[in-house]
Amino acid sequence: MKHWLWGLLAVTPVMLCGLLAAVFWLGWLPNRVAYLRADLGTIFLLFGLLASGGLTVEWLRWVREERSHRNLVNRLLAESVSERHEFLRRLDHELKNPLMAMRAGLANLTGTELNAPQREIIESVETQILRLGRLLTDLRKLAELEIRPLDCAPVDMSELLQDVVSMTEERPEAEGRHITLTLPQVPWPLPPVPGDRDLLFLLFHNLLDNALKFTQPGHKIEMRAFEDGAWVVVEVADTGQGIPEKDAMLVWNELYRGENARGVPGSGIGLALVRAITERHNGQVFLRSRFGQGTVFTLRLPVYQK
Amino acid sequence: MSNRDNISPRILLVDDETAITANLAPFLERAGFLVGTAADGVQAVEQISHLKPDLVILDVLMPRMDGRQVLRQLRQQGDWTPIILLTQVGEASERAMALEEGADDYINKPFDPRELVARIRSVLRRARPGQPPLAAAWKLVCGSLLFDRRAHRVFLEGEELTLTPKAVALLEYLMTHPDELISRERLLETVWGWDYPVGTRSVDTRIAELRRVLGDDAAAPTYIETVPGEGYRFAGKVEGQA
Repeated sequence: MKHWLWGLLAVTPVMLCGLLAAVFWLGWLPNRVAYLRADLGTIFLLFGLLASGGLTVEWLRWVREERSHRNLVNRLLAESVSERHEFLRRLDHELKNPLMAMRAGLANLTGTELNAPQREIIESVETQILRLGRLLTDLRKLAELEIRPLDCAPVDMSELLQDVVSMTEERPEAEGRHITLTLPQVPWPLPPVPGDRDLLFLLFHNLLDNALKFTQPGHKIEMRAFEDGAWVVVEVADTGQGIPEKDAMLVWNELYRGENARGVPGSGIGLALVRAITERHNGQVFLRSRFGQGTVFTLRLPVYQK
Repeated sequence: MSNRDNISPRILLVDDETAITANLAPFLERAGFLVGTAADGVQAVEQISHLKPDLVILDVLMPRMDGRQVLRQLRQQGDWTPIILLTQVGEASERAMALEEGADDYINKPFDPRELVARIRSVLRRARPGQPPLAAAWKLVCGSLLFDRRAHRVFLEGEELTLTPKAVALLEYLMTHPDELISRERLLETVWGWDYPVGTRSVDTRIAELRRVLGDDAAAPTYIETVPGEGYRFAGKVEGQA
């Protein structure tokens, strides 16, 4: 319940009863019986004060509960973030030494006389070690993102989105996709957003990268941006295969790979990063998808206030 | 160690993981170095005073005495043996700490052993025996360009320049590694803190900002030179001041 509603509720009895008391005291009634008027007036006023007092006590109790509840939620959230961060830090530490030893060992082998099949085996093992190393970096990056300070400055969104789209178009994976970018020009262009340009670039890159992965040549990808009050809204829409309903809530979790993502390259970190970057920028991100028709990611970022 | 040209440089590799020293030492030996190993900080300090290595590769997290303590102890004693610390210095706070520590370079595990060899060579090339490295200087000077690392401010001909924090950090890294070819990936890892797939573009953006503010011509650079397809190099001669 809202504060103003509680306030209104608390003052209503005393106001009403005060009015009634005044009516009796001042004798605005047709039947003028003096002692009854005076007594009834006092009784009404007392009743009104009691009722308002009771409601005020309830109001205060509600405020206290609300506050302690919010504190608890915040504390639990902070604890879970720091626990996760601590876990990832330890994982990073425990895995990087064995990975380092493996890389050094392989580098030693590469320096010896090897035949072609042996060389091939070593190369494939090296590829897998690199992959593990990258996964480790990604997870650490995600954990750091939640706590490290941002390099915040006003970011020109039109320029940023053009940059991301032109880079995506140049990628070999974009072949055959029709990528369009719609930016408002009149009456004014997009306002700037406060943020870390490199992270925002990565965010939109990941959304487009995701769209490329789940579309085929001939499909369309649209990026459109507009201003909505104190927000800049960016949508990334595609006519790809869509996300099954049961996966839609889970795609934001790290390492989660939807059923239809099997066979598509990726580590399951891309969208988790999108979520983390959005949250660090005080924004919101959500998705709508129809399986077989396509997906729209909607991102809202606060406009830069001078 | 007096005749550096004829003798292979002597390297001390310090790490508590034997799996790492056992695999990395032979690799470094094949690359032309004489390699000794130590398993913790206390051993490292002993070996450094006995062997007088030309360079030390120092892990940070170790039992008994960690890498940072070893480094601090050496520098306090005025020992400027070049040191490559095995850690990550991605954040501004960590970079500031790294500067106070006075290591010559940093590399994050797991790294490509060939990259380590390249770093060792460039640190050895830059090292001036018995003198603090550029990495430990509070002021960097290149002609009329002055970098004040304590205040994170940059001056050109006495005028303070307005730069984004990333550009300042990038210039700092380039100026402490002059005449060294540095790949975009390495800049990302050391200045941005992590190497991500589209990050190389961010490096180019910041280099362009530096050139614009410094009035440097990419075609005939005074400061930052582009090595096509490979990375960047700080072309000016840099002097360190206390």
